[in-house]
Amino acid sequence: MTLPGRIGRTAREGCRHDDDGMRVGVLGGEPTLATVDVVSRGDNPAGPFDYSRKWSLRLVFLLGTVFLYVPIVVLIVFSFNDSRRGGNVIWKGFTTKYYGKAFGNEELMIAFGNSLTIAVLSTVASVVLGTLAAVFLWRFRFPLKSAVEGLVTLPIVIPEICMGVALAMFFSRFGWQGVGDAIWPFNLTNIVIAHITFSFPFAAMVIRTRLASFNPETAEAARDLGASEWRAFRDVLIPHLRPGIVAAALLSFTLSLDDFVVTFFTSGPGTVTFPVKIYSMVRFSVTPEINAASTVLILMTLVLTFLALRYQRIAP
Amino acid sequence: MDDARRRPLAFAAFGLPVLLWLGLFFVVPLGIVFLYSVGENVSITRIETTWTLDNYARITDPVILGLLWRSLWLAGVATLICLVVGLPMALVIATSSPGAKPWLLLAIMLPFWTNLLIRTYALLNILGTRGRLNDALGWLHARARALLEMFGLDGLGLLAERFVPLTMLGTPSGVIYGIVYVSLPFAILPIYSSLERMDKSLLEASLDLGAGQWTTVRRVLVPLALPGILTAALITFIPALGQFLTPDLLGRGQVDMIANVIERQFKKANDWPFGSALSLLLLYVTFILLALRAFGDAARANRPDRARGLPA
Amino acid sequence: MNRQRHPAHGRRRFLMGAAAAGISLKLPAGAFAADGEVNFYNWDTYIGETTLEEFEAATGIEVQYDLFADNAELFAKLRGGNPGYDVIVPSNDYVEQMRMADLLLPLDHAKIPNIENVDPLFMDPAFDPGRTFSLPYMWGTIGIGYRKSAVDAAPDSWSDLLASDRYAGRIALMSEPTTVLQLAMKTRGHSLNDWTDENLAEAEALLIAQKPRITAFAPDNGQDLLLAGEVDLAMEWNGDILQVMEEDDDIGYVLPKEGSIVWEDTLAIPVGAKNVENAHALIDFLLGAEVGAGIADYVQYATPNAAAKALMSEEYRTNPAIYPSEAAMEASETSVFPGQERMRAIDEAWTRVKAAG
Repeated sequence: MTLPGRIGRTAREGCRHDDDGMRVGVLGGEPTLATVDVVSRGDNPAGPFDYSRKWSLRLVFLLGTVFLYVPIVVLIVFSFNDSRRGGNVIWKGFTTKYYGKAFGNEELMIAFGNSLTIAVLSTVASVVLGTLAAVFLWRFRFPLKSAVEGLVTLPIVIPEICMGVALAMFFSRFGWQGVGDAIWPFNLTNIVIAHITFSFPFAAMVIRTRLASFNPETAEAARDLGASEWRAFRDVLIPHLRPGIVAAALLSFTLSLDDFVVTFFTSGPGTVTFPVKIYSMVRFSVTPEINAASTVLILMTLVLTFLALRYQRIAP
Repeated sequence: MDDARRRPLAFAAFGLPVLLWLGLFFVVPLGIVFLYSVGENVSITRIETTWTLDNYARITDPVILGLLWRSLWLAGVATLICLVVGLPMALVIATSSPGAKPWLLLAIMLPFWTNLLIRTYALLNILGTRGRLNDALGWLHARARALLEMFGLDGLGLLAERFVPLTMLGTPSGVIYGIVYVSLPFAILPIYSSLERMDKSLLEASLDLGAGQWTTVRRVLVPLALPGILTAALITFIPALGQFLTPDLLGRGQVDMIANVIERQFKKANDWPFGSALSLLLLYVTFILLALRAFGDAARANRPDRARGLPA
Repeated sequence: MNRQRHPAHGRRRFLMGAAAAGISLKLPAGAFAADGEVNFYNWDTYIGETTLEEFEAATGIEVQYDLFADNAELFAKLRGGNPGYDVIVPSNDYVEQMRMADLLLPLDHAKIPNIENVDPLFMDPAFDPGRTFSLPYMWGTIGIGYRKSAVDAAPDSWSDLLASDRYAGRIALMSEPTTVLQLAMKTRGHSLNDWTDENLAEAEALLIAQKPRITAFAPDNGQDLLLAGEVDLAMEWNGDILQVMEEDDDIGYVLPKEGSIVWEDTLAIPVGAKNVENAHALIDFLLGAEVGAGIADYVQYATPNAAAKALMSEEYRTNPAIYPSEAAMEASETSVFPGQERMRAIDEAWTRVKAAG
């Protein structure tokens, strides 16, 4: 959508560029140069919105990225540290033995397995509920709609400790009392429920963003051609939503895998998850084993994300 | 958009699962918390809802209020830093080439996907008095001194003789650093989203009409991106209020926030009613902020002469 | 899940603070019959390397071994109803609290013949007269770990930690409200169970005044800070300091002259346990002389089992960090559960200490 008529034309035809290639004002006389430096690309003048080419902003971006990554890089580097105790502070030499230790640590592997199971179950349910919620809010008008919208958003904003505490009390009052004795994976029920509850609003949010670009007339056309509600939903809406669904699934998966606070309050006997186990390990002493385990987790997340992106490109 | 009455089956099919789930696993638990918050311990393990306001009255204790104020302050500063740093970063992503965008976004999100605990422990390595940050600053200091010496300016007292390492752990600065660290990716995304959907020709128009870059940013870009900025502020501020790990680890137990008190009530102090009241306090603050935001949105929507920059 | 054997544990670590859950290690998938198993809920790394396997071999009872990190967590898990534990390991003050909350089953001493191995000194404590509900497992003290090269003389008083500025900026305290306030009261010459308002206020004031000189309120990792050189004095459990003493000769442990807290961890059976017979069998086994010696040797804390102690090495029995001197023991006390009302006052005092400055 560009400016119509005379102004637009004049703007496009009559504008001037300064020596740096940035567009400068044209109507109204005195050109005003930005006080911000500009990097020119020679004969390809930067447009007015090309902030990504300004080196000052690039610097900020770079510094921000460095800020985010340095601790992670340090984490990975120190996973090769040959020091039993001062794991993350004093470098004593290179070794890969802690990776062996991490994989050989049965409790850690069990915790990891639990986390993966919970994450998969939670993701599936969150994506389903999230899609339903997103479509529900996008499509229908009804009384008290803003209240419902607020309710769906609340688990995203509510402080995690509130959520954890509330669910802990709920399960202690109304929970299935035999859950601790149940065989795997049913003993993880409480945690899965908790994870779904805080994940699906995120999924809904992501899918709603994708919904915004859907033209409802397509669905109407399908219905006019005789498709039932369900078929319209399945064959018209869902394909359009697919990138959003993939993104939502990825988000839910990592939220669940990484969750500490809510899981901490809702886990019971025999149901330790990876972050919770890591927490008790770091209280014990910060050995490189923990770094090793985390590095593996990071790699896993990377691979998963990469796969998800590839899938998005392959799928139409 | 359909009216609910027109397609009741579809409405139920989409709406019921969601509402039932939220009702059972969200509203009911919060209801229990509420009932406990107006209850009291009748024995070491039993709580009775006596509709007492005692727990809420305890919140007015100056120490609690002080902790609450400190939490608001720390969360506020951290949020501000996230916005100030996040906006330029989001700008860069939003205006980069379509090929680069997903990668840049990924680059920002990836740290967020790392285990929170581990990242925080890694920060201990960075922020300690003999940590990497001080190493870097010390190195810079030494280079700067060398430079001054080269020009014979070292006697002028421009730079301190000895480098004094920054003490971040165990201080509010360390806690703020930690909160910013875990919140930054969260802040960038909504701002980016808002910028993405913005009508860029309005910026073009602003420039063409004679406003400079900086003025355009200030008076056109930021107001247009405001919904995203406000969302970013909310989803940074509110979780920051509820932090207890960061003050414990990076604050070395010296910089307690309100959530540390809450956590203690459910463990050591065994005072679930008081803990519930405090938890709900955080929830009430959340509600207030969300309501303010909603009012703000409504107010802005009622000004039709202001272009909103979003697709209709 | 797969068949898992419980892995060899390292030294016992007293994990106080906010670490959560239990880790269930389902040992050989044998019969699902209830009378063939026992659910043991213990602290992390607080048992011998082969103890549980020996028990299974000797009795044929399958052990389901879960772990917890601190008493408060144990209590929080049990207060809503026993989720299925048969044997638990509460500390002395929590035994009282649980007794008052009717969470413990009385033990049938007839089913525990090895009770004779227990040192008579431990048989009638104030927190559990006649040992109706619990039997002793391990005991220890809280003292000061210090870096020898950083102090002119071994710190011999709690005031070095809590009231003096000699080591300002190089001190770590625990993040345990009750413990720290108790030791503050001791520094001022009061009994650590004398929770009067005046004493509590004095302790609180002492800590608030000292706060600027404290580096950290360490949740169970004070010894790591000591080892890493971040602090020179650390208030810690004796076993924790013992562990870092092994890594660094420059670290020492001392029990201050005012005396300290003597804690005791016990074996108990919670109400609602499904395998009461097997629970008794397990407790009896753990109190055996050789089994006890095996545990003590691995875990390196003091054992209340006289028969086991007799089997231990000279080095262990004379280690002052494990077995403090007579004089030190004289001055030390055992902690008593303050009662719910006092717990609230303690928590409020602690909140003020943590919020100060």
